[in-house]
Amino acid sequence: MSPRRLAWTGLLLLAALGLGSFALGVLWPTVPARYCPLGHDVLRPDRTVCELSFGGLWVSLGIGLLAGALSTALGLVLATLARLLGGFVERWILRFADAFFSLPDVLILMVLQFAGQTLGDLRPELKLSPVPLMIASLGLVGWAGPTRMLRNRLATLEEQEFVLAARALGGTRAHLFRAHLWPGLKAYVLALFLSRLPAAILAESTVSFFGIARMEPMSLGRYLGTSYSAILYEGGARVVLPAWGLLILIVLGASLAARGVEGASSPGR
Amino acid sequence: MIRTVLSRVLQKLLLVPIVALASYYLMAVLPVPSDEDSKRQLPAELAASYRKDLGLGEPLGFLRPWTKLFRGERLGTTAQGVTGEEMLQKLSGSVAVGVMGLVLALVWALLLALLRAGGRRPPGLLGDLLPAIAFGTPAFIPALLLAPSVVETGHLLPELSAAFVVSLWPGVLLGTLLTDTLRQEVAKDYVRTAMSKGLSREAAVRRHVLPNLWPALLDSLPPLATALLGGSFAAERVFGLPYFGQLYVSAVLQKQLAVVVVATTVFAALLVAVSVAVEAVRLVVDPRARDRREAA
Repeated sequence: MSPRRLAWTGLLLLAALGLGSFALGVLWPTVPARYCPLGHDVLRPDRTVCELSFGGLWVSLGIGLLAGALSTALGLVLATLARLLGGFVERWILRFADAFFSLPDVLILMVLQFAGQTLGDLRPELKLSPVPLMIASLGLVGWAGPTRMLRNRLATLEEQEFVLAARALGGTRAHLFRAHLWPGLKAYVLALFLSRLPAAILAESTVSFFGIARMEPMSLGRYLGTSYSAILYEGGARVVLPAWGLLILIVLGASLAARGVEGASSPGR
Repeated sequence: MIRTVLSRVLQKLLLVPIVALASYYLMAVLPVPSDEDSKRQLPAELAASYRKDLGLGEPLGFLRPWTKLFRGERLGTTAQGVTGEEMLQKLSGSVAVGVMGLVLALVWALLLALLRAGGRRPPGLLGDLLPAIAFGTPAFIPALLLAPSVVETGHLLPELSAAFVVSLWPGVLLGTLLTDTLRQEVAKDYVRTAMSKGLSREAAVRRHVLPNLWPALLDSLPPLATALLGGSFAAERVFGLPYFGQLYVSAVLQKQLAVVVVATTVFAALLVAVSVAVEAVRLVVDPRARDRREAA
């Protein structure tokens, strides 16, 4: 499959999942409530498994999109700063990014959630509701990978002949970035954003599953976390499999789109 | 060469004090920002116990959790706190699960690499789907599916089940990486030369290609260790294993600040140890790594 087609397949799959789950979870919730073949939830007998799964999917996807955008934006700012300032600043940004990258997302996310919740308890004026707090935490967790990769991409682009020529003709750094580097970088930024999406969704699911983030409306992870006791007694398949399938489809859509966008924008094409 | 190796090790070790200080100050600014705030928001006894536990207001207060740990005192403000010895026991339990998970991940990776590299055509839909299925499966999902057999009926060993659950995604990741590296190496000129001189494909792969897979395999070990230990948090929680992951999640839920600081740092130190060990092995088995270090 050509990269362009791969990208469109992935993006259409993501759009279908997001819009479909929003429509079934918010606009027409009676449809999954009435026609769900998986029956009612054990702990919430007034709701069906389909309602809770589809209702959780758009929350997870929305959080993933916003958190992915935030971490990619942070990575872009830091990578640009590193290349603009160079030397000591670049070395320390990269060193810190490598150090941060070696810790698991879930661990840092738990610490940040804990910090945010405690701060909110102590200073109500600073309190963030669970969804914005999760987006901010995921954004702060995910900056290291994009920073490292964007800095490397910028360094590669800066060695291209057209950039060297523009620099030799007296182009300022800001001009070089705006006119010559950014056009070659933007598709890569989009690919990075798409590749951050599943990581953010999975990290959110895991932390919500532990009960550390009390997401309202319920995300997929929170739904599975709150159903834990019922799953133990009743058996997990009826509750777990639909949510698992939806997570896999999100990951498949995002990875196809990221690979397609990156392939279509690679310099060798 | 020793100087460059030492400098690399020091760079990695730097992560440990950075994590220790960052987690301490993140916790230290939270519970009791000022006396007035603490009176308004927290019971006075709890605020005092937070202060004492973290050593707030003391000179070199950031060392307080560590001095308590090394003196064998209990960390934390309630009975759920832990001593250094208990923490070490819990960590060794998690590491044992992680090591079993690593062995299983290597088995899955090898099986997958053999399956995918067996065919000469590049992977099709399965090649796209399998990594997506593995990556889209957080460790708690297979754990939940196995949970009734492990927790309720006791048919399966919890430790082995946890190792199985945490090994799935890293195994597929490693298998995909090994297959891709194998394909790239097999397409290189030195393999063609070896085969044109009469070596069979299998002999060329065994004698010339496999030694070149070592660097890729070793490079993947630190992220693999991170994924295994990170996954063990969920598996331990679902299967009720009283190890490090369970301790960490409970400490966060019960706001045991000093336990969070120490456990985060211990976790980082463990990952740094894995990374340093991998670097050392790489220097032994990969002559190119030695040459690069010397050139640097």
